[in-house]
Formats: sequence, C-alpha cells, structure tokens
Amino acid sequence: MKVLRHIFWLAVAVGAAVCLGGVALYRGEHINSIWLVVAAACTYATAYRFYGKWLATRVAVLDDRRATPAERLRNGHDYEPTNQWILFGHHFAAIAGPGPLVGPVLAAQFGYLPGTLWIVIGAVLGGAVQDFIVLFASMRRDGKSLGRMAREEIGRLSGAAALVTVLLIMVIMLAVMALVVVNALRGSPWGTFTIAATMPIAIFMGLYLRYWRPGKVLECSAIGFLLVVAAILAGRAVAGSATLAPWFTLGGMALALGIVVYGFFASALPVWLLLAPRDYLSTFVKLGVVTMLGVGVVLVRPELQLPALSRFTDGTGPIFAGKIFPFCFITIACGAVSGFHSLIASGTTPKMIAKESHARPVGYGSMLMESFVALMAMIAASALQPGVYFAVNSPAGVVGTAPEAAVATISGWGFPVSVADMTALARDVGERSLFSRTGGAPSLALGMAHIFARTGGGRALLGFWYHFAIMFEALFILTIIDAGTRVGRFLLQDMLGAVWKPLGRTSWMPGVILTSGLIVSAWGYFLVQGVRDPLGGINSLWPLFGIANQLLAAIALCLATTILLKTHGPKYVWITSLPLVWLVTVTFTAGGQKLFSRVPAIGFWAQADKLSAGLRSLPVADAAVTRTLIFNARLDAVLCGVLLALVAVILLDSLRAWTGILRRTRPITLSETPFTASRLGAGEI
Amino acid sequence: MKRWRRFGKLVVGLLRELADENAYARHLKAHGREPSGEEWRRFSDQRLRRKFARARCC
Repeated sequence: MKVLRHIFWLAVAVGAAVCLGGVALYRGEHINSIWLVVAAACTYATAYRFYGKWLATRVAVLDDRRATPAERLRNGHDYEPTNQWILFGHHFAAIAGPGPLVGPVLAAQFGYLPGTLWIVIGAVLGGAVQDFIVLFASMRRDGKSLGRMAREEIGRLSGAAALVTVLLIMVIMLAVMALVVVNALRGSPWGTFTIAATMPIAIFMGLYLRYWRPGKVLECSAIGFLLVVAAILAGRAVAGSATLAPWFTLGGMALALGIVVYGFFASALPVWLLLAPRDYLSTFVKLGVVTMLGVGVVLVRPELQLPALSRFTDGTGPIFAGKIFPFCFITIACGAVSGFHSLIASGTTPKMIAKESHARPVGYGSMLMESFVALMAMIAASALQPGVYFAVNSPAGVVGTAPEAAVATISGWGFPVSVADMTALARDVGERSLFSRTGGAPSLALGMAHIFARTGGGRALLGFWYHFAIMFEALFILTIIDAGTRVGRFLLQDMLGAVWKPLGRTSWMPGVILTSGLIVSAWGYFLVQGVRDPLGGINSLWPLFGIANQLLAAIALCLATTILLKTHGPKYVWITSLPLVWLVTVTFTAGGQKLFSRVPAIGFWAQADKLSAGLRSLPVADAAVTRTLIFNARLDAVLCGVLLALVAVILLDSLRAWTGILRRTRPITLSETPFTASRLGAGEI
Repeated sequence: MKRWRRFGKLVVGLLRELADENAYARHLKAHGREPSGEEWRRFSDQRLRRKFARARCC
C-alpha cells in the first residue's frame, strides 16, 4: 500500500513537471487550456502534500493536543470551533476578491505564460506560505491581528507603520476597484440597469430579513438571487427601449459620482439595510460562479488564442506600460501573493480553528484554491482572440477613439481584428460597443460568457451570460467598496478620536458623516482621477494598487520571518525570507520605476514633466484640465513614495530586530499563549 | 451514497455558516432563548457590527 502511495505521488509530481515544462516550452499554433489546468492541479497537489505538510509538522510544529483559541475562548460569536472543511470554505470566501480575477486578465497582455507561471509558483512558494504562517502565528496568539502581532514581535514602530499602510492601501484599493466597475458599466444600459436594480433588491432583502422572516438568510438570499436574475433578463428590454435606455446609458463621470454617493450612504446607513444583505448575496454568487467557471473550463477545455509571450514583454503594452519584470508580478497581485490575506488570516479564521492541524488545509490550501481561480481568469482571457482582447482592453488614448483607427493600430501589432468582428460581438452580448472597455472586467466577462455559453445555451445566451458575469463582478466589487468604506471610516474615527473624543464615537452622527465623507472623498478623488485619465486610469492606478498590496505582503512576511527566527533560529528563515526578498525586489523596482522612469507612460514625474512642457501651447480650457492631470501625476508619485517609505521603515525595523536576535543582544520573547491541553472531542466539530 | 450524503451535509453546513444561520443557532443555545424577530435583530446587530469593522480582501 505504501509503495502504491509513493508511486501515485511520484506520478503526480512527474505530471506537474511534464505539464509545466510542456506549457513553458511549447511554441506551436495554440495550446489547449487543459494543459494549464493539469499542470496547476498536479503542482498544487504535490506542494500541499509535501511542502505544506513539512511546514505544518517541522516548521510550525502543529500540535492537536494543544487547545486552540476557538476552544479556550469559545463564546459562540467570534470564537467557535468549526469543522475544517466548513472553515476552509469560509476562509476561501473571505480571501477570494476581484483581484485574482482582474489581475491575470490585465497581465495577459504579456501572453499567457509569464502570468500562469507566477500564479502557480508564486502561490505555492509565497502566497500560501504567507497565509499559512500568519494564520498559525495568529492562532497561537489568541487570534491577534497583523498590526498587533507586528507591534509585539517586531516593535512599536512597525505596528504604527502597518496601520497607516493599511489605511493608504485601502484608499487605493477602493478607488481602483470602483474604476473597474465604472469602466465595465460605461455606456452600457443593460449592465447599469442590472447593477442599479441590485440596490432596491438589497434593501428589500434587508427588510425581509429584519422584519418579515428574521434569521432566514439562505431563504432570503435565494429570493434575492432570483430577483437579480430577473433584473438581468429585464436589462435586455431596458437596453432595447428608446425611452428607458438613455436613463441608464451613463458616462464615466456620472457612474463615478453614483458610486461615490452609494459608498457614502452604504457607510453611514445601518448595516442591516444595505450592506449585510448584499454581502450575503455576493458571497453565494461568488462561490457559485467560481465553481461554474472551474467546471466550465474543464468541460469546454478552450484553446488559448493569446500567444505564450507577446511582443509587449518589452514594456510597450497598451493596457499598462512597463516591462515583464517587475510589472507582471505586480499586476497579478492577489492570484499569487496577497497582503490582504494576512488581514483575514489574522482576523476571523484563527478564532474558528478547532484543531491546530486544520491550519494547513485552511491557510495553505485556500490560497492554492485562490490561485486556481486566478488561473481560470487567465484561461478565460487567453481564450479570446488576441485582436478582440486588445480591442477591449486598450484605452482610447492609445488606439484612438474611432473603431477604424483602433482596429488598424491593433492589427498593426500583429493581432488582426476588424470593425465587423467587434460589431458582431457587441451585438451578440447586447452592448453598443466593446472598444476600449478597459479595466479587465468586460474582457473577463466576455471570456466567461463564451465558456458558459458553450456549456449551455450557445450563442443565443451569450448576452445573458456576459451580463451575468458583469453583474457578478460588479456585485462582488461594490460589496468590497461599501464594506471597505465603512472599515476605513472606523480606522479614521479611531485616529481622530485621539484628537477629539466625540469623533471617535461610532454612534455620533456628525462624526459618522464627517469621517464617511472624508474616506469617500479620498478614494473618490483617485477614482475621478482614473476616469479623467486619457490613458484610462488603469495604467496608473492598477500598478499602484499592485505595489501597495505586495508591500502589505512584505510586512506580513517580515512578521513571519521574525517569528521563525525567534522559534528556530536561522534554520528555517529562508522559507519566508526568500519570498520576502523577491517581493521587496519586485515592489521597490516597480515603485522606483513609477517614480523615476523617464518614460512618461511609466514614471509619474516624467508624465507630469511631459504634460508641463506642453502646457503653454494649450488653449485655456485644455490647460486647466492638463494642470489637474499634472497635479494627479505628482500626487500618485507622492503616494507611491510614502508607501515605499513606510515599508522601508518596517523592513529596517525588522532588520534591527533580526540582528538583535542573531547577536543575542535582544531578548527572544515570543508572545505565544501558553500550552493548554485540548479537551475537544472529534464529535464536537 | 453515504459519501454524497456527507458531502451534501458539508455544503449545507458551509452555506449556513456563511449565512450566519449556524451562529444564530449557537447564540440561541448559549443564551437559552427561542428564535424570534427581536432575538434575531439583537443577534444580527452585534454580529454585523463586528463583521463590518474588518477589512475586506481584494
């Protein structure tokens, strides 16, 4: 039996090597996506079985005889021992955001290969390791947060810097996510109507749950889902109506303002009315659609139409500027390594782990699953015709506003596409135009719609599936925007409460309105800046978001390295320090280029200088707009610089702590809770 | 068949956990109370306040 097991795992490992090698070296006409799926599945299985197990048994030394916080502090609310597979699903639902869906779609401009390799290898050696170690550390510290652990294990300075970094990162994240929604709904009455309809549906659900059928969340969510599907179907009629369509055909600025107003009300209104029902619905739709996409890709096995490596690896890409290194890794973000996961892994999840050994499937396994979702997104985007992919994702500022000019430019890059092709495709999905629908969401929706339509409904249902995918993406993102705005408000109230106490009270209405307004204005400013940007906004905001997210991961890895160093000495430090060195190299290179590159499409200062140089020759009205663009470019540069400086502070503080530990000039104190024997029986979970 | 039943139970368990229905059942058990509109509102107000004070993943 043991021999058979060895043979099985050897076959899986060989399968991983052969498929990954095949994907990396194949340069034929087209490759079937199943190669990517098998390569990833075999790599994840091998990594989980061997590396994950080794981390759990030798490095973290998980011990099921030790009582977890869920058992010791059980209160029926936060602390509750939970079945490991239920917690796996719960944790996965919490970490799976729009990042791993949108990032790979944008990174596909380099071809499918670099992104795919980073999604698989980065997750196995970086992202899953970070999630697992942070979860383990928090579990051994009564479920403490990342900031608190950083303060206790590294130092006070790191704790404070981590808090400010999180607030800044949230502002950028909310802006860029809102921009993705704006770009997906711009000029789309069908999409806009569907998303607008989700607001009254959410309020109806809130009232239903609060007063009519209290506690029946699943029942209420099922009704909400049916209403949303009805809204998608009604959206087609709205788009076709000469009276109603103009009401829902909105430009970028109107949509941006709508989202800002929505964010403000969602932050200030009672949670049960709008946020909570949307959140329940969004979670179920998210899990359902991700499962459908996985099953769809395996059933359809689409051929990848994008090349393995495109000509844009040289940094001249139309979607975002910058070479494959470092920008591919920055763009993929959450699909391989995500700093935000460390907030979840040190939030709810450690308080629900019943047995220490569950940390491996929950922490390491969930990240592998998230990476698989990113791979699905990469496949969905790469299955599109390259000409279509670039026509949808290239901003009008690069390819021109006229369809003829756009197809001529894109065909000139070696990716043939015609106006007739794009018109037919737009008609099939019920849109007026698909040119320059930047942000990643529309092209992902197109890829998903093709996959779903091939599994059921055919071309006739392409429009429904496209808008179903848009609804899924927008619902998902708006949930993050409303919840994120609220969290940002709490963080701000915490800080302002130290200056004047009433501002810190979350029930004092003037304080709530002021802080909600401040947070909404902060991300709203960057959103409007993205909408006004002639290059589509994604070019400047997505890299900034990617840098911020990876910097947060660097903070988490600094903490993980400190804990490993304190526990085992230098023996196992490479486990977290190698991904840390990689992330620091990638993010500081990208940040440096965004600051100092002389290429205006890449460097913020260079962009400001270029705009300033042409200012004098412009008419007065254009000069005012250009002055705003110059200010925005400089603001982005300052923000990027502040983020890099904050993380440099944490890095230096960590280096100081590590040197102290190695030279034994600093006491090696771990703030783990002492061992308590577990009394939890298998039947109780 | 047994496996499928177990899998089905797991899926329902996950959905109920995500829907906070399990947490509500635990809350009722812990406080020895019967389900009611008022009890649900008390429970969900507490739970949602904590839930929406935490950062969301991107």
